[in-house]
Amino acid sequence: MIIIGEKINGSIPSVARAIESRDEAHIRRLARRQAEAGAHYIDICASVDGDIEIETMKWLIDIVQDTVDTPICIDSPNPHTCVACIPYCNKEGIINSVSLEGDKIETVFPAIANTGWQVVALLCDNHGIPSTVEKRLNIAERIFSKVNEYGIPESNVYIDPLVIALATDEQSMTKFAACTRQLREVYPEAHITSGLSNISFGLPARKVINSAFMVLAMHAGMDSAIVDPLNRDLLGLIYATEALTECDEYCLGFIKAYRQGIIGKPTKK
Amino acid sequence: MSKIEAIALAVEEGKSKIIAGLVEEALSEGISAGEILNNGMIKAMGVVGEKFKNNEIFVPEMLIAARAMKKGVEVLQPHLSASGVEPLGKVIIGTVVGDLHDIGKNLVAMMIEGAGFEVTDLGVDVPPEKFVEAIKDNPDVKIVALSSLLTTTMPALKETIDAIEKAGLREGIKIMVGGAPVSQEHADSIGADGYAPDAASAADLAKSLAI
Repeated sequence: MIIIGEKINGSIPSVARAIESRDEAHIRRLARRQAEAGAHYIDICASVDGDIEIETMKWLIDIVQDTVDTPICIDSPNPHTCVACIPYCNKEGIINSVSLEGDKIETVFPAIANTGWQVVALLCDNHGIPSTVEKRLNIAERIFSKVNEYGIPESNVYIDPLVIALATDEQSMTKFAACTRQLREVYPEAHITSGLSNISFGLPARKVINSAFMVLAMHAGMDSAIVDPLNRDLLGLIYATEALTECDEYCLGFIKAYRQGIIGKPTKK
Repeated sequence: MSKIEAIALAVEEGKSKIIAGLVEEALSEGISAGEILNNGMIKAMGVVGEKFKNNEIFVPEMLIAARAMKKGVEVLQPHLSASGVEPLGKVIIGTVVGDLHDIGKNLVAMMIEGAGFEVTDLGVDVPPEKFVEAIKDNPDVKIVALSSLLTTTMPALKETIDAIEKAGLREGIKIMVGGAPVSQEHADSIGADGYAPDAASAADLAKSLAI
């Protein structure tokens, strides 16, 4: 399971304040703690006005890279910001994200072709998020024809099938799982990822829904998630689900995570 | 780190991919097969058993250690026979009739094998007559190990011992028993020669009974 740590995001009020007041220590702490919890990538999203977005991203990227070795997931709705941030990164990471909206693919794909950079591709287009599995797979097909056109390896692509709020569509999970299964079959080398919070929008006790969603999505074939790695219960579920779905030989990953103190009851030592 | 220590560590950590290579290197350095077995692998399994007993490691880690040891023994086998290193003796093990539990029994079999015995595993749900037959087929057997995980199958421990007695095979063999509901008192009351609470202790018990 590839864990993309979501904590450094300007849409979180405490992070917005840290960005505003240039509180370096706060960002460092978030970077370090996520890395220690086993995040494979650290997502960085400034969530600020367009005119200061790139400089803010650079400030965040510099601090994170000065603190940990974990590669970065550049997160911006603006593809030009994403491309502009690539040179600031010491290691090749992930661009988050493109879709069939506007010129996103045409902007990002030329910049990452022939590099080790990876990309999250959302299954939506200028018409928004399609409600049927069939339409989403059709978008995937169009995205992958671009992927091939630019010679990007399938394995460098993280597909986000996009999840609709369960509160507004009771088939939301079923569709997500069906979509994931079919993507797995057609694009076996590609990764499948998702954020967790959309599913529970408009419902109480959201964390419970998010956790259940993650387990079911992993069971359907999702192999990555954009999550809070400091959530021990969630991390525990990730490792347990990997073991339960034959993705963790001899449960050794689960045992290792336990021993590292990442999952299970916090140890006294 | 000496080659022997490297072998011991590989077994402890369940590194079955590198163990064969290490054993071959040790042999070509002139270390005897018996030395590799005893001071490398059996010693390592002892450490593994001890850690398991102390809840420091978990069942899968014990399994991969045993798997690594098996790989090492495969390489060692021809050299052991050639140099006349004898196993400590034969052990017949099984879970008694009516009982399908095999994890604990397998761990005990593994640890006993790891201690240097030759183990015949009769499996689970083994009727008394099958134990009797196995003893007849292996007249040189030293120990019979019986496992019961249920209070309802505990009587089968005694029935099995009685059947062995009745067949006239009791003399010359030692019988050890174990399993969650079994205790030393119970073992004594049914005429067993020994009881062990866990797999590592079972290996120690087997060694002491075999002398």
